[in-house]
Amino acid sequence: MSTDTQTGAEDVADRGIVERVRSSQFLAEMLSNRIALMGMVIIVGMVVIAVYARLTLDLGTLVDSRLGGTIPDRAAPGWAGGESAWNIYLFGTDAAARDIYQRTLYGAWIALKYGTITVGASTVLGVALGTIAAYYGDVTDNVIMRTMDVLLAFPSLLLALALVAIFGAGLWKVTIALILVYTPRFARVVRGAALKVLEDEYIEASQALGATDSRVLARHVVPNSLAPITVQSTLNFGLAIIDIAALSFLGFGAGPGTPSWGLMLSNGVENGLLTGKWWMSVFPGLFLAITVLGFNLMGDGMRDALDPRMRETVD
Amino acid sequence: MVSNRFLIKRLLLLVPVLLGVATFVFIILHLAPGDPARVILGQRASQARVLELREELGLDDPLWVQYLRFLLDAAQFDFGQSYTVARGQAVRSVLATRLPVTIELALYGQFIGLLLGIPLGIISAVKQDSVVDHLGRIGALSGISIPIYWSGPMLILLFSTFLGIFPASGRIGSTIFLPDHWSLFGMELPLTGMVTVDTLLLGDIGAFISASRHLFLPAATIGIYSLALISRMMRSSMLEVVRQDYMRTARAKGQGARITILKHGLRNALIPVVTVVGIQFGTLLGGAVLTETVFGIGGIGTTLVEAINATDYTLVQGTVLMFALLFTLVNLAVDMTYSYLDPRIQQ
Repeated sequence: MSTDTQTGAEDVADRGIVERVRSSQFLAEMLSNRIALMGMVIIVGMVVIAVYARLTLDLGTLVDSRLGGTIPDRAAPGWAGGESAWNIYLFGTDAAARDIYQRTLYGAWIALKYGTITVGASTVLGVALGTIAAYYGDVTDNVIMRTMDVLLAFPSLLLALALVAIFGAGLWKVTIALILVYTPRFARVVRGAALKVLEDEYIEASQALGATDSRVLARHVVPNSLAPITVQSTLNFGLAIIDIAALSFLGFGAGPGTPSWGLMLSNGVENGLLTGKWWMSVFPGLFLAITVLGFNLMGDGMRDALDPRMRETVD
Repeated sequence: MVSNRFLIKRLLLLVPVLLGVATFVFIILHLAPGDPARVILGQRASQARVLELREELGLDDPLWVQYLRFLLDAAQFDFGQSYTVARGQAVRSVLATRLPVTIELALYGQFIGLLLGIPLGIISAVKQDSVVDHLGRIGALSGISIPIYWSGPMLILLFSTFLGIFPASGRIGSTIFLPDHWSLFGMELPLTGMVTVDTLLLGDIGAFISASRHLFLPAATIGIYSLALISRMMRSSMLEVVRQDYMRTARAKGQGARITILKHGLRNALIPVVTVVGIQFGTLLGGAVLTETVFGIGGIGTTLVEAINATDYTLVQGTVLMFALLFTLVNLAVDMTYSYLDPRIQQ
């Protein structure tokens, strides 16, 4: 009887929707891999640019003002109708007559360096706190997670700003502030994933065999929670790069003259926006957005690919 | 419906979080470098005057006395006086004038996001893996990858510098001055501080148009980001719902595809979207800081940046607390909506 109803229901059901969803599962997985791949290509490209800039460009000449030299300030890129003599300058020059092209390339190094440190450190801290909270439970769990709750009660950029008010300005201080801001997010995801893993029987088995707490955590809990951790790290990488640049944009991050994308953008907005000198703000922002897109594509593709397990472990 | 017990339980759970937030903010103030009395009086003030002010401000009391006093004051929204940015003015009144500006901006931005994001997400899900879907997904992913402090300037460049359609900064035309109250049946009532609302209350259509034109670019800046986030969530949530048995049952009973999606699908698919809208409100507040900076709007975000730059710690404290309180309350509202949409959550 019930089978009949079900078959009947399926017959009447909108075949279009139902079937497309099913046959698309295979397709969706392929697509998701392709998306992840696209993201990976962008990220590798940016890493190459960053390393190239770090190895070949001299930071000093990028930071110091070139005013009074042979190159005019605020010159449009040669290809966009700027003075023909400055054709070599693909991206034009800024208010201090510095080459925006070289500065933008170097910006990739700064963004990826501080982004890696922020995400790396908050992942490690988050994994440690999350697994410890899940494993020991009770008071330990409560103390750790309620502290995380308090930190999560602040909008992230505002918490970072509040911490910058104590630490002071500078790229390193901003990075430390952001590590504190990002750690609770990892701790929460990892705790959820770890709780799931801890239910498995092999955990009990390994405890019965006399494994120490740290061995159980390091050999079983952490490796089996890696999927959600990796996705979380990748997606937060993009956010971290945006936040670091945001704090530089607001004037609390990179020091004057540093070729950081956020600071270059704020210079471009201040000196070229209303006068139509678009190249000053277009290029650093474009590189920033493409980099972040790379991480979002990769994180998204990975999450889709891991979907069935993710649904169970995250939250 | 949301039961009272559930609401009370959620409200009680707020207390420890808010207490933690207040404690954290208190610690910030005390870890911050510099002597508040010295900051207020400036470098040239005499040591005797500084000591006198420390006494007045109660800075020499034991830490726990200061802490309790801070908590009691904060509970009454008394955050003390601004040190430098609005010297001598109560932090509370600074926030009261600046907060509506930010809320207005955030609401319009969120409105644009919801208005476009929900239909876009539904179309993307229903037409899964079609060209529309692919374009929508890539567009949405790009939308969340573009930082607000870049999309804002790009909108200014295009619509203000080059096309001259919308103004690049400010909240209303520089020649328009609004009175500080409006009258209804002869009663003088205070204005809201939200310029699009106030101009309507005053019945000044010209001023309203000016205000709307000024608000358009900043709201669109926030809206693009919010739209991307909402349509992404709406899509994935709708895809999940479409596969549910009750959708098939509704169709089996002879209900049309459109009605099924809008009546059964939308309500269930909205649940995760509500969460995103809530969580995103925090990002939106952070985004407001950046948007206000880009567009030169004097909201609570620019106030915070000014306060940090001027080491105005009471103002930093008040602003951060206010932001956290707003964020927490919005999260509570999200939980409530959530349980209204899915009554199972209350158990």
